[in-house]
Amino acid sequence: MSLYDNKYWLLSHIRNSFISTDDTGMCELIMVGESKDAKQHLRSAEPYPEPEGSEDEEDEFELFDMHQDMDFSIRERSNTAAQLEKLEHARKKTSKMKHVKWETKDPVQEFEDIFVKKDITQLKDTQKRTSTLAALLQTHSNVPRNPFIEYAKFDGSGQVNIPTKKYKIYLTMLPQEQRNYPMQVCCVASAKVQDLIGLVLLKHSYNHGITNLKSPSQYGLYITEEDGEVDRDFPCLDAGEPISKFGFTSLGLVEHKEAKAVNFQDASRNSLVMEGPGRTRTISDKSKAEESRQMENDLQAVEDHNKQMEAPLYRAFRAVMVSKVKPKIEVTIGISGERVEIDPVPQKGSKLLPFKAKAISHPVDSIASCEMIDTRSSRTGFRIVYCTAAGGNASGDPGILNSPSTSSAHKTTAFKHYYFESDYPTALDIVQKINLILELKSSATRSEYIASREKKMVIKKVFNIVK
Amino acid sequence: MMTENSENDQIILATGGYDHTIKLWQTHTGICSRTMQHAESQVNGLEISPDKDLLAAASYQHIYMYDLHSNNPSAIVNYEGTSKNVTSVGFQEDGKWMYSGGEDCRARIWDLRSRNNQCPKIFEVQAPINCVSLHPNQVELFVGDQNGIIYRWDLRTDNNEQLIPENDAMILDIDISPDSQLMASVNNKGKCYIWSLVSGSNDTPTKMIPKQKFEAHKRHALKCKFSPDSNLLITTSADQSAKIWDTSDFSLVQELIQENQRWVWDAAFSADAQYVFTASSDGYAKLWNVKKGVMEREYAGHQKAVIALAFRDAS
Repeated sequence: MSLYDNKYWLLSHIRNSFISTDDTGMCELIMVGESKDAKQHLRSAEPYPEPEGSEDEEDEFELFDMHQDMDFSIRERSNTAAQLEKLEHARKKTSKMKHVKWETKDPVQEFEDIFVKKDITQLKDTQKRTSTLAALLQTHSNVPRNPFIEYAKFDGSGQVNIPTKKYKIYLTMLPQEQRNYPMQVCCVASAKVQDLIGLVLLKHSYNHGITNLKSPSQYGLYITEEDGEVDRDFPCLDAGEPISKFGFTSLGLVEHKEAKAVNFQDASRNSLVMEGPGRTRTISDKSKAEESRQMENDLQAVEDHNKQMEAPLYRAFRAVMVSKVKPKIEVTIGISGERVEIDPVPQKGSKLLPFKAKAISHPVDSIASCEMIDTRSSRTGFRIVYCTAAGGNASGDPGILNSPSTSSAHKTTAFKHYYFESDYPTALDIVQKINLILELKSSATRSEYIASREKKMVIKKVFNIVK
Repeated sequence: MMTENSENDQIILATGGYDHTIKLWQTHTGICSRTMQHAESQVNGLEISPDKDLLAAASYQHIYMYDLHSNNPSAIVNYEGTSKNVTSVGFQEDGKWMYSGGEDCRARIWDLRSRNNQCPKIFEVQAPINCVSLHPNQVELFVGDQNGIIYRWDLRTDNNEQLIPENDAMILDIDISPDSQLMASVNNKGKCYIWSLVSGSNDTPTKMIPKQKFEAHKRHALKCKFSPDSNLLITTSADQSAKIWDTSDFSLVQELIQENQRWVWDAAFSADAQYVFTASSDGYAKLWNVKKGVMEREYAGHQKAVIALAFRDAS
């Protein structure tokens, strides 16, 4: 075709075919104006348009096309896919359905067998009619009106043609062992947070009765982890807001702390509270005790956690260093995440001592262990085992202060220890702190020490057996 | 417990309306036991098949059949071919055929015995049909239309007879008492008309003798239904009430009123006529104690007006 060398013609051709093959009609809306431009170019038909100008135009067109591609063709495709899926779904559904079409046939057929007149004189039975419904209602006569029944209309399950949202609701008022599984609730998207709470309570009441439940305003929905842990850092969802505003699908239903059963002012709900005040009381007492126990546990956990967190922070303790050959010296043990420092406390007349106690400092990496040795009523002894070889850049002169540990010889690395005495709480604190730090650091020294110790144990055992 | 459950299974309460769902209810607790999707249109009328296997829903251009035993939320049979709303549906007592009436001015007989609807029968009137009711003798259909005409259609002979109880009034519902002694009809002016029926032997048609006329409601009367023992008649109305009448003298026995319940569309008696269900525009179905006139249960869950209900008691 001679026209194929005309880019405007080509452009217009492509546009036209694009528009005519597009089912959504979107292209037409957008491109119709542009194609006019192209047509104008085609008509004004400069045989050799200025290269620069035309290129610019082309670029613009291209850009436009790219934009078109990005924005619409993808969506169009997904629309088509969705449409296809819908059709497929409908086909599947209808294939399961039996279709009976009305056919207007000649009604000249014998109806003897189908339209048989029934002898209604026999109908006049005088027997007493019984109703299972009536019997059933009699046995379930005093079922109190469920106060949450009005929220039933927010149930989205089984609804068609209206948007619904699904939630996993964790009920914190359930006993611990039942809390792990969330309640699956499907709710119409137009419901408010308050309505969802009511619906959850309604569903809960189907299974657990209404005795322990309070009015929906006494509960809040909190953002919750997938594992059911309520995230209390955020406030509960505003009860007056539509639920569709929030994107969270896991929520925890939590009773407001300040809520009291007294707040039942609604006449219809009064009967509820009247029914079993005793029962409610006992349960609330029990739950209170449980709650306080829970609190204690929590506090303990927090304390432990704090200790762990603070372990690498510097802290100083007082203790007495004991060695076999030298007199007892009062020292300050400074422990941090980096080093363990042992400073002799200056004492009166220390100058008179035949040798000077020097300050010692060990990097934590060279510390192998810290353990309590003996707990007497007055003093508690503990020792810090360190390694002289591995990073054994202990300042000061350990040789003077310590006695070599009995099991020192292990190739190049030698383990030595200091022996201290102090009161029990201090000793405990020191031991815990050092061990926490060691756990955090998990240095090679430590693992080596533990290994060597285990070996020793084995040897000892063997020795015992031999003996 | 087991027996109670199985008994309870036999009691069927189905409701439907404008929210495109049909709900089945546990009658004594008020819990919705099942929701079926009726996506394409509102539910104009509901009827349970005689064998309690199927639920027929009259809707726009279709009658859908739902399986009452499975948990299938969609319809299993689709009766199509009517051009407008199907307003009324019912079954022959052995389930041999089904009748329907619609706004396309036609009453139809659908053959249920065979696969391909062997014996379609059609009855055409001048105006959209609001209601169709089957005489207990199983061969006469009473059809009420928007022109205010009641037709007695003899299915065997195709002869028909017309009644015009009141000019310029639509017939909104017709019911025939189970003992086939009385026929009741209500219209859009709230009037209720009663006829005595005289059944003829074999081929002679049923005779209708005007018996009584009374103002049941101030506004549209929407449904009328006799109790299974034929001693009571309930009428429901746009005046937000349902009224129960004694069929011996048509004196008012009970008025079922609840504030803001809006139009009361449909009603059904329990087998012993001690209780009655109503369906109303406030989205609730309700169970009333006939003697006390108080509501005993509420069936909540519909998003919009409930306009049809079907109930089958067990005995």
